Amino acid sequence: MSEVSTAGRTGLFRPLSTAGAVATVLGALLPWATFVFNEGPYPAKATLQFFDAPFALSGFRLHLMLFGLAALVVGFTRLPGRGRVLRALGWGVLAVSAVNTVFLISNGGGFGAVSASDGAFAFGCYVGLAGGALLVADNWHASAEPLPRWKFSLPLWAAWLVLLVSFGAVLLLVAATLTAGGLGGAADPYAGPVFLSFLGAAGGLLGGLHGTGLLSWIGELSEKHRLFSVLVLLLCALGLPLTSAGNEYWMTVAANIGVYAATAIGLNIVVGLAGLLDLGYVAFMGIGAFVAANLSGAAASALGIHVPFLLAAVIAAVIAGIFGVIVGSPTLRVRGDYLAIVTLAFGEIFRRAAQNNIGGLTGGANAIPNIPQVELFGLEFNNPVTIGGLQLPGGVLYYFLIVLLVALTMVAFGNLKNSRIGRAWIAIREDEDVARAMGIRTGKAKILAFLTGATLAGLAGAVFAHKTATVSYESFQFLESVTLLAAVILGGMGTIPGAVLGAALLFVLPEKLREFSDYRLLLFGLALVLIMRFRPQGLVPDRHRRAELVAEDVELPAAPKEATA
Amino acid sequence: MSDTVQTGKPLLEVRDLCVAYGAIEAVRSVSFTVQAGQIVSLIGSNGAGKTTTLRTISGLLRPRSGQILFEGRPIHTQPAHAILGMGVAHCPEGRRLFPKMTVEENLLLGAYTRKDEGIAEDVERVYDLFPVLGERRGNKAGLFSGGEQQMLAIGRAMMSRPRLLMLDEPSMGLSPIMTQRIFDTIRDLQRLGTTVLLVEQNALAALAQSDYAHVVDLGRTTIEGTGHDLLADQRVRDAYLGEN
Ligand SMILES: Nc1ncnc2c1ncn2[C@@H]1O[C@H](COP(=O)(O)OP(=O)(O)OP(=O)(O)O)[C@@H](O)[C@H]1O
Ligand SMILES: [Mg+2]
Repeated sequence: MSEVSTAGRTGLFRPLSTAGAVATVLGALLPWATFVFNEGPYPAKATLQFFDAPFALSGFRLHLMLFGLAALVVGFTRLPGRGRVLRALGWGVLAVSAVNTVFLISNGGGFGAVSASDGAFAFGCYVGLAGGALLVADNWHASAEPLPRWKFSLPLWAAWLVLLVSFGAVLLLVAATLTAGGLGGAADPYAGPVFLSFLGAAGGLLGGLHGTGLLSWIGELSEKHRLFSVLVLLLCALGLPLTSAGNEYWMTVAANIGVYAATAIGLNIVVGLAGLLDLGYVAFMGIGAFVAANLSGAAASALGIHVPFLLAAVIAAVIAGIFGVIVGSPTLRVRGDYLAIVTLAFGEIFRRAAQNNIGGLTGGANAIPNIPQVELFGLEFNNPVTIGGLQLPGGVLYYFLIVLLVALTMVAFGNLKNSRIGRAWIAIREDEDVARAMGIRTGKAKILAFLTGATLAGLAGAVFAHKTATVSYESFQFLESVTLLAAVILGGMGTIPGAVLGAALLFVLPEKLREFSDYRLLLFGLALVLIMRFRPQGLVPDRHRRAELVAEDVELPAAPKEATA
Repeated sequence: MSDTVQTGKPLLEVRDLCVAYGAIEAVRSVSFTVQAGQIVSLIGSNGAGKTTTLRTISGLLRPRSGQILFEGRPIHTQPAHAILGMGVAHCPEGRRLFPKMTVEENLLLGAYTRKDEGIAEDVERVYDLFPVLGERRGNKAGLFSGGEQQMLAIGRAMMSRPRLLMLDEPSMGLSPIMTQRIFDTIRDLQRLGTTVLLVEQNALAALAQSDYAHVVDLGRTTIEGTGHDLLADQRVRDAYLGEN
């Protein structure tokens, strides 16, 4: 291990890191903009002068202040994993500073906004950037430090309490992230940058906590108390309407994310487990959506019959599954790149067919509008509900339905992954030839992967149709398939939290970045390239992939080499 | 070494096998038999068609012509999983483990076609045979040394409870000592009732361990005899044992 790089850095005092922390604090206190923007001050109290009101900091400057103070304190302790924590904080500071600097420059009409104009000075951003850079640079080799492992065991009640608090914190963080920047539009003109900046801060925070070993410990704890964790997680998900995200708008956003998360988990079976590259996956969701729309009794539907929602969802899933088998069959003959082309072609065929109102089933350019809301157990799903005096916003029932959908796909995925067929899929992904030699019927297994993935997508599509009330071919473009694929890869192939996180990020970003719509794809692409370069295993890596990386740090028991055996 | 005489119904019989990759005829005319309970090897130089022969027996390739009979029944038209189900296991050239999976997961994949209760027991049996694997059952297969990987590859193949175990160059890249260990293991497996079809470049070691052997040359079986006889055969000595 690189002792050279850590030598001399193990002392208590780390001048560069401390300087970075101080710079970060100063950066937070310095003014960031030379004038007040037309749409309103950005950031809040942007032109606040040095030390005007150190306790009145808000928004990203408050984040910077907290990060700076944290780095200052951590820099003087013997915290295990200190370098990792400092580096993560540094990245957070850099990200927050960079986002806001870029926005101030572009929206403020040039460098005048962040330097000097009309006798006003604003150098906060440079000091902040320098602080972050110092922290990162001084701890560049922190990966050489072993990740601290928390070993102490807890009595059952304490473990449950820790899990409860942790998942509660996750819920609050999710709610805060979702609502960061507000609704956008005239009310919140800076939704985009505020959100991105918050994302940077959240990333830095999580990275810092990970550096202390806390997150791995909680992960192990939740694995040990699996059932309890799943229940608490479900409760937390159902509790989102009670947080700051508890209004109709955020419920809708969250429900949309959920639909795509469920679809991404389905795709994760095909791509992540079986290793089959599917570039037309969203078509299966589309098939499910159109089937459900036609069975919903909507005026524009060709069939004109109204099937109860649950039955319609099952039929949609089955029909999508059948198409999955039809598309999957050529995989018996083609491998690798050719499969990608076959699925790409299928996706395009589906979209063209839907655009041309094939069989009068898709409404063509008119789409199928006015799909009636779901009615289950006498509840109308668009309406707000009151449970025991608790006022829940409209759309909350759809949100609950979709949480259930995501939970269902998670359970399906988890069980499949650890089953016989799951092992067969992974074997096919790793080495198809040997998989055959092990007696795995690779053709059958691949078709089964397509069938399962398509069925889940069809189910998600049926919910989607009722939730959005309009189904149009435009929702099922190639770009959607690519985004789903990106969600799977970004989050970490073959893992559930990965797919959910990836879907959440990729489908919330467009929502949040509407004012940057021209650059959206560019930013997307850039983020993907960066992640693939620096974290190829994805945000939440698979156990196998993680083991690979751990293996570099951990001393293995000396393997007897055959020469000496 | 026992100089067994070839009698009775063979476990495996390959008749005039011809296998081609497109226009390339890798195997032109290969014929041999494997008696139950024996260790039979195929030796021959690079590109002679040994691997192709094994892959065809296990159903990964289809022959252009010829027949493969296992216990008298033709299997060359059967799919790979059916052949494995009949009791023919293939330990491929270059080990081909699933490197990202643990030892245990590799072994479980070896038992993929089985649905009986005895799988866990057989996993333990492999650990008894190779204690190194048992000590590190949770480790990723890719982290093991070449010799240990070969043990795991053999263990994985044994997990299907085969009656015929086909090993493709198990000594590849191993030191003489480790090679000896692997061959000792093969002997043990034979003693426990498994018939072995062995493909080897290392002709000297293979012949010394084999009850019977065939030379494959340019896609044809040429010379055959007991391991003992071939070791003494001048043509074999000249061509494959590095003597002039
Ligand atoms: N997939 C393939 N496509 C085309 N030709 C192949 C393929 N695999 C093998 N061959 C050719 O078939 C012939 C026999 O190959 P094979 O691998 O069976 O030889 P081998 O006896 O196992 O050799 P070695 O001892 O080097 O492993 C060679 O000429 C080889 O180039
Ligand atoms: Mg070979």
